[in-house]
Amino acid sequence: MSLRRSGLQKEVLSLYRRALRLVRTKPPPTRPKFLLFIRYSFHKNARSISPRDVSAIEHLLRKGKRQIEQLEDPSVKDCWVGEEERRWGISNPSLTRTRTE
Amino acid sequence: MSLARSSLALNNVRTSAVRSLATSAARRQAVAQERQPIQKEFKIYRWNPDEPAKKPTLQSYTVDLNACGPMVLDALIKIKNEVDPTLTFRRSCREGICGSCAMNIDGQNTLACLCRIDRNAGKDTKIYPLPHMYIVKDLVPDLTLFYKQYKSIEPFLKNHKLPEKGEYLQSPEDRRKLDGMYECILCACCSTSCPSYWWNQDEYLGPATLMQAYRWMADSRDTYGRERKEKLQNDLSLYRCHTIFNCARTCPKGLNPAAAIAKIKLELASE
Repeated sequence: MSLRRSGLQKEVLSLYRRALRLVRTKPPPTRPKFLLFIRYSFHKNARSISPRDVSAIEHLLRKGKRQIEQLEDPSVKDCWVGEEERRWGISNPSLTRTRTE
Repeated sequence: MSLARSSLALNNVRTSAVRSLATSAARRQAVAQERQPIQKEFKIYRWNPDEPAKKPTLQSYTVDLNACGPMVLDALIKIKNEVDPTLTFRRSCREGICGSCAMNIDGQNTLACLCRIDRNAGKDTKIYPLPHMYIVKDLVPDLTLFYKQYKSIEPFLKNHKLPEKGEYLQSPEDRRKLDGMYECILCACCSTSCPSYWWNQDEYLGPATLMQAYRWMADSRDTYGRERKEKLQNDLSLYRCHTIFNCARTCPKGLNPAAAIAKIKLELASE
């Protein structure tokens, strides 16, 4: 089955890949927090708009790119995860095994 | 007192006691004339990033011009204070020196704190953010690319050697060469008025940045002129300028970026 993804979908996926790669660069104790924050942000934003609304998706891509550029800074070592993110993380566990454990 | 004496000199019809004080009974009862409120309509561009799916709209506000300062920024602040606190815009000095309140007012890119409100209540004033820029919210443009471009030209003094003693010396004639360029407040009005900048924002540097590039090239204390010129020797950073001249027309400080760009082109061509 060929999966023809549109250019916009490819962009979103490459941004997500970039975000996951930046989690690897963070110190191991805080990696789960970064992972949770990134997964929560992506899923929440994706749910908030229709997949056909191109301008809104592009806006969220730009906003996400800026946030990821800030997080990629090596001096950023920790991030804050709130109650809402934690609850979401429990009900939507990551399907990938984290190699840090 | 002198008024009473002058009324004597004018030979008034008054036959009664001539020593009348200036403050007569009629004058005491004079009431300050009530000014009719002038209701001016402002149509302001609104967009909220918390609801990115909702399209931007033009929202109308009416302001009484007799109860408001003369500049567009005063009207915006009055609207934000009294009518709609969610209206978002940048502002700082309110005197045209910081460049924060740059926006498109009635089609012209200016500073809101220097733009007088048109007192004609029949027409409405349209306020848009700077054209062809991504918006953070309402009238606030995202200027990160603009600042990155400014940073890329290295806007600081670079000299191959330290001064013999004290500081780099400069004659008044050399200092005069910088007049008209150092006053730039980087408000981004000129760059965002240039159609060439609209179409090639990531490659073309824009009039504001190019004028500052020339300001450092023309500075007699700077010895890295050749390297600065080398940076512009490509198809896009400088040569997207097609002398459209919107920049000089719209500059709120009255500067002429187009002239600076012409001087850069001359220097690059004659080397």
